[in-house]
Amino acid sequence: MSGTAEWEDLVSTALVGTDRRPLPGQAEPETEVLARAAVQTLRIRAGRRPVPVAEPPAAAAPEEQSVVSRAAADRLARILGGEQPRMLDEWLRAAAGRGYRLAPHLLPELLDRAAKDRSIRPHLGVLAGHRGRWLAGLNPAWAFLLEEVTAAAVTGFGDGEEVWQLGTPGDRRAYLAALRASDPAGARELLAATWEKEAPDDREAFLKVLADGLSLADEPFLEAALDDRRVEIRGEAAYLLSRLPESRFGLRMAERVAKFLPAGDGKIQATAPTECDTAMRRDGVRAKAQYGMGERGWWLQQIVARTPLGVWSGLYGRPPHEIIRMPVVDWRDEVVAGWIRAAMVQGDREWARELFLLKPAADLLAVLPREERETVATEFVRRHGGRNARYGRLSDYLTGVAAPWGPGLAQAVLEAILDISNSTQSWYIGDLIKLAGERVDPGLHAMAERFSLEPPVQEVAALLRFRNDMLKELQ
Amino acid sequence: MIERWNRDQVLALAPDASSQKAAQGVSSPGKWSGTGVTDDALWGECKGSGSKPYRACVDLSEPAYRCTCPSRKFPCKHALGLLLLWSAGGVPDAGEPADWVGEWLDGRRDRAAKAVDRAAEAGQARAAKAESGPADGRRAAQREQRVTAGLADLERWLGDQIRQGIAGSRRHDQWDELAKRLIDAQAPGVAGTVSRLGTVLDGDDWPARLLGEYALLHLLCVAHRTLPERVAGAGAEAGGAPAGLLERARDRIGFPVTKEEVLAGETVRDRWDVLGRRDETHDRLIARRVWLRGRASGRAALVLSFAPTGQALDASLVTGTTVDAELAFYPGSAPLRAVVAARHEAVPAGPPPGTAVDRALDEVAAALAGDPWLDSWPVVLEGVTPAGDGMRILAGPSGGLPLHPSAGTPWRLIATSGGRPLTVAAEWTPRGLRPLTTWDEEGRVIIL
Repeated sequence: MSGTAEWEDLVSTALVGTDRRPLPGQAEPETEVLARAAVQTLRIRAGRRPVPVAEPPAAAAPEEQSVVSRAAADRLARILGGEQPRMLDEWLRAAAGRGYRLAPHLLPELLDRAAKDRSIRPHLGVLAGHRGRWLAGLNPAWAFLLEEVTAAAVTGFGDGEEVWQLGTPGDRRAYLAALRASDPAGARELLAATWEKEAPDDREAFLKVLADGLSLADEPFLEAALDDRRVEIRGEAAYLLSRLPESRFGLRMAERVAKFLPAGDGKIQATAPTECDTAMRRDGVRAKAQYGMGERGWWLQQIVARTPLGVWSGLYGRPPHEIIRMPVVDWRDEVVAGWIRAAMVQGDREWARELFLLKPAADLLAVLPREERETVATEFVRRHGGRNARYGRLSDYLTGVAAPWGPGLAQAVLEAILDISNSTQSWYIGDLIKLAGERVDPGLHAMAERFSLEPPVQEVAALLRFRNDMLKELQ
Repeated sequence: MIERWNRDQVLALAPDASSQKAAQGVSSPGKWSGTGVTDDALWGECKGSGSKPYRACVDLSEPAYRCTCPSRKFPCKHALGLLLLWSAGGVPDAGEPADWVGEWLDGRRDRAAKAVDRAAEAGQARAAKAESGPADGRRAAQREQRVTAGLADLERWLGDQIRQGIAGSRRHDQWDELAKRLIDAQAPGVAGTVSRLGTVLDGDDWPARLLGEYALLHLLCVAHRTLPERVAGAGAEAGGAPAGLLERARDRIGFPVTKEEVLAGETVRDRWDVLGRRDETHDRLIARRVWLRGRASGRAALVLSFAPTGQALDASLVTGTTVDAELAFYPGSAPLRAVVAARHEAVPAGPPPGTAVDRALDEVAAALAGDPWLDSWPVVLEGVTPAGDGMRILAGPSGGLPLHPSAGTPWRLIATSGGRPLTVAAEWTPRGLRPLTTWDEEGRVIIL
């Protein structure tokens, strides 16, 4: 009997018991079973041979990008381990921006994160290198990586035509953006040629690329996109067209404004639409109201938000700073909210500046050029930032001020932090500390350390120092 | 100059997950002042909640830790945080340790030297009273009787199981009573084996695994019953296989061996690679296994330590480092378990030398010949690639070894490999390999 057969026979005997299935010719069959089983167990353990292995998968291609330094990889492991977890995005952005790749052993954990968090996928597209794509080919949960932009988008494309035809969706988007910057018409024509065949997600992403270098020459293409099957694409096209007052879309919106928001008696005599008709829907107005809003007000707000801001001065014969202060009959909140949205989407600095004075909103600050934004924000913090804040949480407004914050704004914010921390409102200071730590220019860490020894300020300083060291490691 | 440990190596020293987290909270440069590092000492002062900073220092050659904070965790978060800071390159080199550090180091080394003297004296004293007092002799004889009775009981119980059949044995509580009787019989080793039998029940192949475990327990009973006679009969060959096997059997049964006896036995000085470790909690007691292999001797070793849950475990062997040390092995054939008898210094070294898959299996077979009850052995495999269905086989030119079911898909190992062969340290078990550690293309240790 072969060893394996004998072992299986012993197991069967042990299962039913030797009382019912005795071993022939044995006085103590149970002892014999145990003794033989010991021999077989050891035979199997000690006699194990290497198992034959099917062809292993082909090795990952050699890398072209250089790997991040050990110090940088260790810091990333610290961030992943829970130390300053909010710095993950900045670390990934900085490393990807410099075209690095990750140390391979860190890839599984980051791919798992990116499977849940889409926002870090584009960075990972660059950082994963060939090894990451090789891993994504082995684990279906990581397949998303194959759609992302590759390092080629950072280091420059060789043959553009080939990228557009064969590249990942991320690479194609990056290529289209690069082409749009140098040749806006060429980019539009390239997109128009394959538009009908693109997947809806790609159509939406590609359409956004046209925001850069937008001109009236894009109007026919965008007007046609208003007939797209997907509502997000119609909405995106409508927002792009709202930046082109001379477009057919602009003229249609001007007619709607004249109809629903005529001026009279120095007031805006607003009436909200009673239905959201097909023409309005085609122009990107969504029929279904946001939660907690009345339908009519929602439709009116969207009409305002999608109207080229230039229309208003033409209609009322007044400059923006007067218009926004005109009394509005019945629908003032909706109209102002619509203007704010319009100023943001159309990137209109004059309207943003005036509206911020009327109603400070983070989105408006984001529209202003960097220097002016800092000045306005610094002024705002100095006036309203301390314990007597009129506008609730300062951090909510400052989210609209992109990093890096310069010395003026940094000092104003640190003063506000000190002032609030010494007041009864110190409970809401945490968000502001985190935001300051993330946005202030990390080169200012020494200034922050010297600014005050109070723990909240030192906390900001520690965050800045962490980022300063982090960015240095990624040089 | 000692090579800086990486972050994973430092965190592996933490007694538990909450200590790891706390250490990361005190590892930023802003928290520390007066830091410095020399060849074998690392120190700094950490801002705490009080007015005086905590002074933490680490003797890197052991490693050993000291901190003025009142924490009962060991090493405390300050010592670990300081190590993390050092690991990240945040501690400047210094010529001489700070005064307070130097005092501590000198004190430690004095005590260590005295301890060695004391151990030597104790060894001599014990040798002198080898014929121990009558009370000791009576106690020992009593224990022998109890164990003999307990194992006879176990042998009968095993026979009954096989006579009646094990088909109805898929019940987790059936061994509790037996294990208690074996504890009372002063055979804690067998009692432990019996109380862990429930773990074989989870797979479909449980009847075969259970029969294997019963057979090996039976073998242990038989060894205890028959080997002493054979050893006595072998006379001049008493130092040969039966004697060693008897010692191994008595060790598995749970006869105690004192540390002094171990230190008085075989010692091996070598440069030992710390391959990895595994902590297991059982009955509120954590057992820490640290696996080592000697560079010159090729010997495998296991350093075992215990602590109640929540208390500090021995953290002196850092995975991925290489230490020049003398290990004293527990007596018996296929010696594996050892204690560190003397440490000389940490030596910088890259990945350990490994063997091919078939050679590693030969080594395991030889170890099983000396210790049939062996269920774990550290191996270092050279030139293996994760392959096979689910990438759960470590494949070399001569074939592959499957991983233990609990290892899952070893993504970190797969990522480090990228489909190319690498060196992997793993724990051999009868059910497959448990990966411990690997080394990436730059020679950096990666804990799996």
